[in-house]
Amino acid sequence: MTNTWYLYVFFAAALVFAGILGLLAKRNLIKLFICIEVIGKGISLLLVATGLAKASLLTAQALAITYIVIEVSLVATALALIINIYRHTKSLDVRRLAKLKG
Amino acid sequence: MILQTALLIGLVIFAALAILLRDLLKSAIALAVASLLLGIIFFRMNAPYAGAFEISVVAGLITVLFVLTIALTKTGEEVRESKLVNVAFPVVFVAFIVIDALVMKGLIGKIPALAAGAETGSFGDVLWKARTYDLVGQIAVILAGVFAVLALFRKREKND
Repeated sequence: MTNTWYLYVFFAAALVFAGILGLLAKRNLIKLFICIEVIGKGISLLLVATGLAKASLLTAQALAITYIVIEVSLVATALALIINIYRHTKSLDVRRLAKLKG
Repeated sequence: MILQTALLIGLVIFAALAILLRDLLKSAIALAVASLLLGIIFFRMNAPYAGAFEISVVAGLITVLFVLTIALTKTGEEVRESKLVNVAFPVVFVAFIVIDALVMKGLIGKIPALAAGAETGSFGDVLWKARTYDLVGQIAVILAGVFAVLALFRKREKND
């Protein structure tokens, strides 16, 4: 693999780690979702960078576009869920969801 | 290469800001800027289609969805975040960056390049002919998302 590829992997790993750290530390539901988005950015960077290093950029772009479409669908569904949770509990605190009261 | 590295550093900084900023609106905007930078990085990597999608869909549409959700959930009480996070997050993150840099430096040249056949044709050929099933999957995912949102926002019927 080329030396540039290692640079991209370095930054992609940093993005994924930042997202995972945020997922572990934050309590706001919207913030947790922003962390998932950050992880997704690292993954799509890695996809395109690996395509560039392996001279198959067209396939990598097709996969990145597939990922982006899935991401939009995921965001729409998850934000709708978050709004419903907010209407139900009047809070965005993820700890409130741990209560099993109906 | 220097400009590309600067863009990548900016991407990581804005992504970290999106996680760390207390105001949700500001963190949504930081996420949009990170997407914009990622789109520019894709353009500079000769991947214009992925870049255009990243900028238009992720930096545009997803930011609008986030801002809408923040506006709809604003009246509630503020979620109290742990105070330790604002101190611990940067420390752990910087420690990871150092370890990451050392590991990547040690790995340079050790991962063999796998054989890959050269691609022929245009992006359209690859997308429509080689990855047709991906497109079918994308349509299915979008439909699933639409139905999920419809199901989540359905109104209560009179008989319920």
